[in-house]
Amino acid sequence: MQSGTFHTTYASDVSLRPYWPQRIRIIIVLALALIFPWFADRYWLNLANTIAIAAIGAIGLNILVGYTGQISIGHGGFLAVGAYTAGLMAVHLGAPMWITIPVASFFTAAVGAFFGLPSLRLKGLYLAIATLASQEIIIWVLTHGKLLGFGESLSLPRASNNLFGLPMEWLGNNDFAFYWVCLGALILTVIFVSNLFRTRAGRAFVAIRDQDIAAQVIGVDLFRYKLLAFATSSFFAGLAGALTAHYRGIISWERFTIDTSILFLAMIIIGGLGSVSGSIYGAAFMTLLPALLSNLARALSDVVPNINAYLPYMQQGAFGLAIILFLIFEPEGIVKMWRNVKDYFRLWPFSY
Amino acid sequence: MHRRRRTFGWLVTLALFATLLAACGGGGGTGGTGGSTGGGTASTEPIRVGAIFDLTGATADVGTPYARGQIAFIDWKNEQGGINGRRLQLFSEDYAYQVPRAEELYTKFVTQDKVVVFSGWGTGDTEALRPKITEDKIPFISASYSATLANPAETPYNFLVAPTYSDQLIIAMKWAIEDWKAKGNSGLPKFGYLINDSPFGRSPLADGTAFATSQGIETPLEVPSPRGATDLTPQLTQLRDYGANYIFLQNVSSPAALAIRNAKSLGYNVQFVCLNWCANEILIKLAGADAEGVVGAVPFNHESEGGRIALDFAKAKNIDYGGADSTFVQGWTAMSILIAGVEKVVADGKEVTGENIKEALQTMGAIDTKGVTLPVQFSPTDHAGVKSLKMFRVENGKWVPITDFISAR
Repeated sequence: MQSGTFHTTYASDVSLRPYWPQRIRIIIVLALALIFPWFADRYWLNLANTIAIAAIGAIGLNILVGYTGQISIGHGGFLAVGAYTAGLMAVHLGAPMWITIPVASFFTAAVGAFFGLPSLRLKGLYLAIATLASQEIIIWVLTHGKLLGFGESLSLPRASNNLFGLPMEWLGNNDFAFYWVCLGALILTVIFVSNLFRTRAGRAFVAIRDQDIAAQVIGVDLFRYKLLAFATSSFFAGLAGALTAHYRGIISWERFTIDTSILFLAMIIIGGLGSVSGSIYGAAFMTLLPALLSNLARALSDVVPNINAYLPYMQQGAFGLAIILFLIFEPEGIVKMWRNVKDYFRLWPFSY
Repeated sequence: MHRRRRTFGWLVTLALFATLLAACGGGGGTGGTGGSTGGGTASTEPIRVGAIFDLTGATADVGTPYARGQIAFIDWKNEQGGINGRRLQLFSEDYAYQVPRAEELYTKFVTQDKVVVFSGWGTGDTEALRPKITEDKIPFISASYSATLANPAETPYNFLVAPTYSDQLIIAMKWAIEDWKAKGNSGLPKFGYLINDSPFGRSPLADGTAFATSQGIETPLEVPSPRGATDLTPQLTQLRDYGANYIFLQNVSSPAALAIRNAKSLGYNVQFVCLNWCANEILIKLAGADAEGVVGAVPFNHESEGGRIALDFAKAKNIDYGGADSTFVQGWTAMSILIAGVEKVVADGKEVTGENIKEALQTMGAIDTKGVTLPVQFSPTDHAGVKSLKMFRVENGKWVPITDFISAR
């Protein structure tokens, strides 16, 4: 009779997903992701792509906020840096997206590290205001785009949407083709970030979050790792931004305002701070909530007349309500709710 | 323990399949209703029209009456018997002036509800939807009159139903130069812009400045008014220090009214000139007596036969649009121009598709709006349907025309 989980080899001790049910679950999720686009119409593909891009951005923010404990309300600005870097390269250099996306990600990482400099001296609310400033500075530069030689919005040439010389149109319509790009980017992000927290750097991030002075005492170079956290986080923001630019074909700074930064914070709070899967759940929740509400209202419009007139106000309220309800009933987010469900079944019938 | 884990795995598998089935069921249901609408020539299928409105966002003050006008036109048209016996069915929703939300709703209406024409709203989202509109071949009107949308070589499915913002600004400047001379001033006036801090606000500035400098006027000062500002005194002080005699407001009504009131309390005596989106009754309501003498470029004249049809219908149906007569008529008329193209396609006995509607709009000749605008004329090389407008002034709490139709060129 086994009373718990025991690892008998080092390999199993350090493996990321040691149990078969976990592995099967991943295989099932992957299989579903692979068959989904063949059945979904463009509306659902559009939603899926939006979720995937948002999830990449949210994972990026979670590295900084959830794992390293450095608050940032400038994430929208970093998305904008990625989007505009990719956009400008595609417009002026005619670069294809398999070049612009990595370059934009690395450039955003550098910009993020630069704006992370105050984090050495500032903590908590002060850091929040410093990142808010970075958001405003980036948006100011973009709204005064003529200083940098581009207009208010940037329209990317269709030809830039190619992978290693292969035009995206070959894959099918825009939404279908980008599904594979977004999904691929999300999978790589998830693999990278899940493994990141098993490395020295990742452990250092967590140590800084839990107690920065103690971390310094045990030999974590605070400055270096805080900057590294900002850079890694911004890297994924840049990736999400660059994907947005190529997917939408046109970008304007209106998409990356402070509202976006707050939306991303809400995603990781609702999904679960310090959790990769939580970031994905949060991104999905925040993207699907308005869509579900409007579909629900339409379904109810026969039963409840005039519901469409109230719908806009319900949607506004629903976001606020969702955040408050989560903070009250499950501060650890959707990921904890999912874990509770799993525990219930795992421990049933003796739930102790 | 091992066994238990396996059962758990099965449960997860089952749960996942259940969600998959649910998702497929949902998707299939909506797809089914969409698939049955081909739009044959002699069918009685309704004609599907898509629209997004701003009812709760940054421009909701004018977005709401505009939306009411568009919905009212569809209702009115259906009461008149629809188009050749076919009803118009409107799919519309609030998008709160958020670009991603606009993209989502547009995709939903076009791919699931199979709308054939679309009515948009803001400059940012109209710009963002540009590539999709072209790809989907959906004739698109919008309440954004950016000059970038007027060239069919680049945006073959965007139609402008009013003078472009650039033209509006140039017309307003022409009026201002005349007015300066008429008041017996010597030399040239100084111009300033007080604008919405968005693509909408900045849209006409480059063309306007080019016109002003070509007339020998100093480059106008550009001052953005921050979103949600409750006091615009600093911005107005900046304009006063610059010495602007005319301030062109490219903004919606509420911030424009705030600017006018702030200027009064600052003692800054300046001529405000509103472009389209603040030249309406909401401005008068909010600015009260301070609005007297404000001049506006009003592309849609509600004091006309077409305007009266719309306003009478609103009265008969008890439609509440906050007293913004001109904006209500604007929404109504914009929709009527789009539907005129659909009507032409049906009358010709062709299939109701985006491509045919675009062809019809380009080749059908002038569309009569019963005096609300000059007849609207699109062509295969020009999608700016209207080129001229009348300047109005607030006199005794009402917008009164003070000029005849002026054109920018």
